[in-house]
Amino acid sequence: MSVKYGIMTLLYDKKCHGYELKIELDQLLGNKGKVNPGQIYTTLDRLIRDELVIPLNIDEQERKLFTLDASGKTELEKWLLEAVPYHSTKEDFFFKWICARKIDYANESQMLEQQKAMVLKEVMDLTKLKTDLLIKGDENNYLLISGRLLHLEADLNWISQVENRQTKP
Amino acid sequence: MIKVSGLVKSFTQGKNITEVLKDVDLKIEEGEFVAIMGPSGSGKSTLLQLLGGLDSPTNGKIEIDGKAISEMSENQRTIFRRKNIGIIFQNYQLLNNLTVEENIAFPLYADGTLDKEKMKEVKELIQAVGLNELNKKQANLLSGGQQQRVAIARSLVNHPGVLLADEPTGNLDRSKAEEILLLLTQFHKKNNQTIVMVTHDIFAAGFADKIILFKDGTIEQIISREEENYAQYLANFMA
Ligand SMILES: Nc1ncnc2c1ncn2[C@@H]1O[C@H](COP(=O)(O)OP(=O)(O)O)[C@@H](O)[C@H]1O
Ligand SMILES: [Mg+2]
Repeated sequence: MSVKYGIMTLLYDKKCHGYELKIELDQLLGNKGKVNPGQIYTTLDRLIRDELVIPLNIDEQERKLFTLDASGKTELEKWLLEAVPYHSTKEDFFFKWICARKIDYANESQMLEQQKAMVLKEVMDLTKLKTDLLIKGDENNYLLISGRLLHLEADLNWISQVENRQTKP
Repeated sequence: MIKVSGLVKSFTQGKNITEVLKDVDLKIEEGEFVAIMGPSGSGKSTLLQLLGGLDSPTNGKIEIDGKAISEMSENQRTIFRRKNIGIIFQNYQLLNNLTVEENIAFPLYADGTLDKEKMKEVKELIQAVGLNELNKKQANLLSGGQQQRVAIARSLVNHPGVLLADEPTGNLDRSKAEEILLLLTQFHKKNNQTIVMVTHDIFAAGFADKIILFKDGTIEQIISREEENYAQYLANFMA
């Protein structure tokens, strides 16, 4: 998932060849580990098949260049505006946000607000669940849910920090 | 049940009249746990004071369990409050030179209803809020969290049907706040107590059944979990 949208982010406003994608993708994913080149090429093949990426000519060093199709841009922007549910372990809002920053995405504040709503929904659900668990005497799961709530508090604080810095003159 | 209609409260200072509550309509069912959130200065504490009969409205009606407290004299209100309403203030408001036990028993003492049987209940309450070891300690020697526990126990000593709490966790860290909220939830579930809690903290408000979003002296929105897009409203309100 991250590889697909990472590639689309990198091709959003420039052409790249495979090796460039590998270097920049490692940077974009930060501490999430390195991507192997095979994975990049299979993902590129799929993106081309789905007509989201267009393969271009060979450059002067005989490397194949790729670019993002208009439909690829639309698809990427749609993904950016989808808040990330907390039950999903496949995706990570921080990655999505860094992709948005990379392409200077115009709707970042909407993204943040939607994600905030997602966090708040989760806070409301988990707080209810947590007290129900405690009343049932399930101490361990009560503590586990409390831990998840502390993570959500950190996420909420982080979103506020980003928003506060955006409104700074 | 708490029923508020057309509630207005203004304060007069010299020639200035400030309308702090503007036409508040509100219904809270018996046994409901409701949180009130809103910016500072929006009138939340004023609303709570009026619900608790500590002050009287400029206009409008407040009914608690069918009794119109807005139409009572100050003395009638005080008597009604002592029997039916528990209040937890933002800054605890304990009697500093009294012990934990004396503070908690104080409402009974003031009512002249403190007897052996009641004293037994006081001891049980002290146990319930986890202050056993400290019951002979003077209130001003306690930590914030401990003082808040005393305030909770004191507010419950008369078995009020309605509990009003103004930022009960405002000065506490996350884990101390959690213990206080669990105490409130426990009493609420056990005694079917109606709770109205003012808080600025969504992690505290999450304990409630409903959240009232309050702004500029009036209710902007009432949020309940069943509603489809309530989290969007919340996110927008908290922006
Ligand atoms: N006794 C009073 N006299 C004059 N103004 C008051 C009084 N009590 C509250 N206010 C004013 O009413 C407004 C709302 O206060 P309050 O109810 O404490 O708000 P909140 O609890 O939401 O922060 C504030 O502007 C405050 O200055
Ligand atoms: Mg207040």
